[in-house]
Amino acid sequence: MGKQMTEMLKGTLEGIVLALIAGQPAYGYEITARLREQGFTEIAEGTIYALLVRIEQRGLVDVEKVPSEKGPPRKVYSLNPRGREDLDEFWRTWSFLADRIEELHTKGN
Amino acid sequence: MAAKWIETITGSLDDKKQYKQYKARLEALPGKYRTAAQALDRYVIYSGGVVKADVMLKMFDDLATLFEQAAADGTPVSAIVGDDPVEFAETFLANYADGQWRNKEKQRLTDAIGEATADEN
Repeated sequence: MGKQMTEMLKGTLEGIVLALIAGQPAYGYEITARLREQGFTEIAEGTIYALLVRIEQRGLVDVEKVPSEKGPPRKVYSLNPRGREDLDEFWRTWSFLADRIEELHTKGN
Repeated sequence: MAAKWIETITGSLDDKKQYKQYKARLEALPGKYRTAAQALDRYVIYSGGVVKADVMLKMFDDLATLFEQAAADGTPVSAIVGDDPVEFAETFLANYADGQWRNKEKQRLTDAIGEATADEN
């Protein structure tokens, strides 16, 4: 993954993850797997984990601990009303940015 | 009473117990996971600047859980930390910023600029 992609993803990955769990609650590994399916093949598992820790600390998700066959219990993340608000704001911001950048793109080239 | 008095000198005994448990969790990880987790442990202690014990213990718990889970899932170490381990460590550390000593300096800077610009608005 290029340096530019990494930099751009930094600002948007949180919104992407919120959007992914908005449809269906998931635990860390599932979230990484869903991202991989969508073509984000080089995002590190640990990066997603750190991000999940952050959105939990900010109170955007509810967490349920589910026992797993091996290893420690898995934390299943689901979007709560505060997370929903945050995601809505993310989409508004995204639309604004995407519109403006697209305009620069069509005008400038 | 005696225990309390001792703890004011030695630090919380409960924190020490939790810290020892965390170290044991890292020791118990299989080979490569242990090496990687211990390397990250060193980095976050030396360069993290986290000085609050409760925040630090939370960070340790999260770090150990990540590696225990990854080992159980068979996630390769390279897929946990990605291409840039420092980048990963910094992303991870950002979650515990409220325990960092630098906060005092950030506050000092904010206050100083606030004072300097007080008559501007």
